[in-house]
Amino acid sequence: MARMKFICDAERCIECNGCTTACKSEHEVPWGVNRRRLVTVNDGLPGERSISVACMHCTDAPCMAVCPVDCFYRTEDQVVLHDKDLCIGCGYCYYACPFGAPQFPQAGAFGLRGKMDKCTYCAGGPEENHSVAEFRKYGRNRIAEGKLPACAEMCSTKALLAGDAPVIAKIYKTRVVTRGKGEQIWGWAMAYGGSDKVSEQPGVKA
Amino acid sequence: MLIGLAAALAVAACGEIPQDAPKPYAGKEDTKAYAGDAFKGDKAKYEKTLAERAQYQNEYARATWK
Repeated sequence: MARMKFICDAERCIECNGCTTACKSEHEVPWGVNRRRLVTVNDGLPGERSISVACMHCTDAPCMAVCPVDCFYRTEDQVVLHDKDLCIGCGYCYYACPFGAPQFPQAGAFGLRGKMDKCTYCAGGPEENHSVAEFRKYGRNRIAEGKLPACAEMCSTKALLAGDAPVIAKIYKTRVVTRGKGEQIWGWAMAYGGSDKVSEQPGVKA
Repeated sequence: MLIGLAAALAVAACGEIPQDAPKPYAGKEDTKAYAGDAFKGDKAKYEKTLAERAQYQNEYARATWK
């Protein structure tokens, strides 16, 4: 049984917002709802880092624990999904989630709050696979097509990894061990050859 | 007897209701991801496809410049 997760490699993320765009485009997510977004720390300063954040499909999901109408469920792949027909839009899941994953569309002119919307891991929802109802409520079901989430597959630097937890953890581990640390992280040698150290590259002032 | 009753009352609050019990799901049943036309219920094929697809994210596995 798979345990689907995301990992975002902060050393690789270039804050291009390709993941957020891919998500919005793939699922035709309405204006004001961001199932995935980028968080940047130390923005504009040397050493700034960005990380792509969405629902982390927690193993012990707090949203699931606090939902008063029990509209959350877990798929065989451990993806946390919810039934929008049951959701009452109370917002408890929003308060409980440490990642700010649950989103609420502002459906009316008077601050009316709609039903909760969140990352589905591109696994649709409790409707028939690939049906119009599934797409309208939850977006595209790529998992049922044997594809991984659009955000990760669109990531240009492959900073965002998606898949079974042991598989992507191994990919990430290989990466960390291979790239080393310090200046090697920038991957100069991988891109241009020569020394791994930026300070030893031609044209760099001492 | 009174001592016994007092002891029982004293430890009454020490019990803990399990908070990690799985919550019931009240919504509609979802169809399995591998139930559609792509996999026709073949779970093993579905899992293999996703595992192979995940390896496209691993450039150390698919790189030709090594």
